[in-house]
Amino acid sequence: MGCEISNKERAGVINPMYDCQPAGAQYAGIGVKDCIPLVHGGQGCTMFVRLLFAQHFKENFDIASTSLHEDSAVFGGHQRIQDGVMTLARRYPELRVIPVITTCSTEVIGDDVEGNISACNRMLKEEFPGRKIHVVPVHTPSFKSSQVGGYSECMQSIFKTITTAKVAPTGKLNLFPGWVNPGDVALLKRYMGEMGIDATVFMDTESFDSPMMPDKSISTYGNTTVEDIQAASGASASVALARYEGATTANYLQQEFEVPATIVGTPYGIGNTDAMLQAISRITGKSIPESLVKERGVAIDALQDLAHMFFANKKVALFGHPDLVIGLAQFCLEVELEPVLLLLGDDNSKYKKDPRILDLKAKCTWDMEVVCNADLWELEKRVKDPAYKIDLIMGHSKGRYVGIYNNVPMVRVGFPTFDRAGLYRKPTMGYAGAMELGEAIANTLFTHMEYNKDREWLLNTW
Amino acid sequence: MNSEKLDELYGYVQERCLWQFFSRSWDRQENIDGILKTATDILTGEPPAKETPQDRLFYADAKIMVADFKQRFPWIEEAGAAQIRDLMHGLKERLVDITITNSKNGELHHTLY
Amino acid sequence: MPMVLLECDKDIPERERHIYLKVDGEDTRDFLPISNAATIPGTLSERGCSFCGAKLVIGGVLKDTIQMIHGPIGCAYDTWHTKRYPTDNGHFNMKYVWSTDMKESHIVFGGEKRLEKSCHEAFDEMPDIKRMIIYTTCPTALIGDDIKAVAKRVMEARPDVDIFTVECPGFAGVSQSKGHHVLNIGWINEKVGQLDAEITSPYTMNFIGDFNIGGDTQLLQKYWDKLGIQVIAHFTGNGTYDDLRRMHKAQLNVVNCARSSGYIANELKKQYGIPRLDIDSWGFNYMAEGIRKICAFFGIEEKGEALIAEEYAKWKPQLDWYKERLQGVKMAIWTGGPRLWHWTKSVEDDLGVQVVAMASKFGHQEDFEKVIARGQAGTYYIDDGNELEFFEIIDLVRPDVIFTGPRVGELVKKLHIPYINGHGYHNGPYMGFEGFVNLARDMYNAVHNPLLKLAATDIRGETATPVKEAAE
Repeated sequence: MGCEISNKERAGVINPMYDCQPAGAQYAGIGVKDCIPLVHGGQGCTMFVRLLFAQHFKENFDIASTSLHEDSAVFGGHQRIQDGVMTLARRYPELRVIPVITTCSTEVIGDDVEGNISACNRMLKEEFPGRKIHVVPVHTPSFKSSQVGGYSECMQSIFKTITTAKVAPTGKLNLFPGWVNPGDVALLKRYMGEMGIDATVFMDTESFDSPMMPDKSISTYGNTTVEDIQAASGASASVALARYEGATTANYLQQEFEVPATIVGTPYGIGNTDAMLQAISRITGKSIPESLVKERGVAIDALQDLAHMFFANKKVALFGHPDLVIGLAQFCLEVELEPVLLLLGDDNSKYKKDPRILDLKAKCTWDMEVVCNADLWELEKRVKDPAYKIDLIMGHSKGRYVGIYNNVPMVRVGFPTFDRAGLYRKPTMGYAGAMELGEAIANTLFTHMEYNKDREWLLNTW
Repeated sequence: MNSEKLDELYGYVQERCLWQFFSRSWDRQENIDGILKTATDILTGEPPAKETPQDRLFYADAKIMVADFKQRFPWIEEAGAAQIRDLMHGLKERLVDITITNSKNGELHHTLY
Repeated sequence: MPMVLLECDKDIPERERHIYLKVDGEDTRDFLPISNAATIPGTLSERGCSFCGAKLVIGGVLKDTIQMIHGPIGCAYDTWHTKRYPTDNGHFNMKYVWSTDMKESHIVFGGEKRLEKSCHEAFDEMPDIKRMIIYTTCPTALIGDDIKAVAKRVMEARPDVDIFTVECPGFAGVSQSKGHHVLNIGWINEKVGQLDAEITSPYTMNFIGDFNIGGDTQLLQKYWDKLGIQVIAHFTGNGTYDDLRRMHKAQLNVVNCARSSGYIANELKKQYGIPRLDIDSWGFNYMAEGIRKICAFFGIEEKGEALIAEEYAKWKPQLDWYKERLQGVKMAIWTGGPRLWHWTKSVEDDLGVQVVAMASKFGHQEDFEKVIARGQAGTYYIDDGNELEFFEIIDLVRPDVIFTGPRVGELVKKLHIPYINGHGYHNGPYMGFEGFVNLARDMYNAVHNPLLKLAATDIRGETATPVKEAAE
């Protein structure tokens, strides 16, 4: 019994778990209102990422490309940055933020992004004297990090460009949830509301779940405004919920503007949510209200029906974003599921020292394997290996075939989940999220039992 | 009289026939020449060439086109051989003009595919 | 005048040369949109890159081939789970993607060793697979990795494997189209002619430019089986690597998608004397015509007529049921290029549908010659359209349904316009007779979706005009 932490041994990847840095940067960028990210690279770097977001959210998001062509590869693409910025500024009069997101090609070519942005700023000032457009340099070469780091990088770059002065104290709380769904943002806002805390969620992606309206208006964009970002320097504190997605921005605000930053365990499961609320209560001086105590009770009540009857001793494989996978593993322990395989999909060397992983290691009474820099072939091999006997896979839709073709039930969670309807709307964080997830796991296992006629009679009376 | 008939044939070909729009000018010329020659043969009762694979393809394209001509433009059955040759000659000139001579397609004359 | 400068394009006036409004009496000698030209940065164009044109569109369709993408992880991640091209061997092509996962040190010191190692690993991990295509991407092309040399070394070390290389980084060309070209020309020059074919029929052909979207290839294959025609190679729907090395053995090349695959048909004609027959595989009238031509080529006309009669008897009544109910529906087609000219007349003739606007992402002027010759007056023909243009065009033509990709589909949903997946289909296949009934059914279900009327209703009392009426 023990926990082994290793790296994928192969050099190459078969079935990646994460997209590249620019993809993550684009996700952070679309969280800002009146913002169109401009990706400096080939057109595919934008088109496919827009498609990916569309698949997950069933929504369209505006992202532009500098449409790097051959001549730029030879002579540099700086003119295309300037053309791209100016074209966007001219055709989108509401536009206020343009993150210029680099890619592998433009980093290899070595285009001077900062220099070109200075040129853009001069041109913008001249052509639009009464209008301020924040052009943000975001360096995200695809050959470093992954979508996880790219999200973090873009978030930080946006703040570094826009949050340039310490504003008067706002009494607000900055909340950095990381790369989460609109359902999570809605939950966090509700929790803050119930605690009487004036919090700003960065990025506020709640309206990524947007309506079809009688007047045909389109509201599918982030709700974080330039003012929100500027005001972050005057907040009373920052709380980051995801160590690898947004915590660097909280730290930046602490270093530059003395906004105290706290990084809490990502609030998946009961215990993590408890810790988050207690930390926020401590930081803000606001007490945890009865309503959340009750919500917690409802969640535990629901999970109690599932844990030792259905979940206990079930072996679970988890993959996805690091903060998600670690948080889900912690949640599994709460409900007697046995996480036996944790796959983290990039080469970030910090994962191995993550205190949460070390804590899991100390707690687990079965064999658990953490594979860093993993791909989904690592999952597939273990799912096929009779020695593992994996009962449940939890992860995003890119792993769907592993579940389908090996007849192992799979719960979709994380990003992207394009092969299930409406998951982006549901919270995974918080008490309600833990309950949703627990019930999704149960129903997935039940359906699997029924379709495989495997002790389906258990449910004859439950 | 012939001009209206020519319009009808030309309209049909423009709307339906992909062979006039091959990638390069020489392919277009070859197709127009080959298919209209074969169509003329069929319409005038001459035996169409079927020696080479390319002949057979011209025949396939021409055969279906002629069948459609007969169905859509019944007058063609009544036309004499001289009128057919005249019309096909006119059709060829117009197709060459629109798809080659006066085509604005900038890739038509590339030497490679 | 008929070249159109839209209001949203007043700051990028060069767009006028890409948008055409056909007027009665005009033809392509008068106006032909500029196409296959560089995209204006920052326009929110719909285009992808040339790498994806090679990998995602053509190479990645093959059912027995490792797709080794030499570059950072995103190029692999992004060209995986974005297509609907099944295979008859359990969708190997859709289940897996391979990457060398290039990191900074490989960019600095070169990635050839990593590529070589990744190739060996891939073959080791999947011992039944013996074929591979290696693709360069932007950074590995920029640093000059010699993927051909690596492929040669791997083939030397593993005599039973064969590897093809595609050197087509994303920045090459102006769109997916360049990738089609590079793969086509590379394949004919390097791989065709390598293997002999076992000939089982007096009638042999290659079917080129059909990628088994939604099962198209498999549906059409039933026709070829009935006609007794041996398909030497499918380029590349449900196809195999080795069959594509036998393309020179066919008597005839039948081309559906002339844009993505016309090059190889041209070269097969030039190098091997195999004639090229272009057909339209969507639509009753067109499909019947294509079958008639193929059968006339082989001299098996009676078989062709029997098949057409059988298929018409089976499917025409269903088509007509939909035709009756789709009369006058206004359709927009915003896809890659060829589907514009494949579809505009077939939906008009077979379904009574009027195509009011068409936008091509990567078509060339040849495609616009075809579509303008076939399309109606009063219809917009757009090259490399962008988002603001689409909004404006929608206002101008008020389509009832748009055939486009899922992302744009989500966008127009907010405008209460239903979309049909014009790339991967809603519920395909759409080719052939049965397929066109599927298309008609999906279009009928889309335009008659009751939710559209509900969406237009303001429950506070003011009833907004239902979409269907507003469009009239």
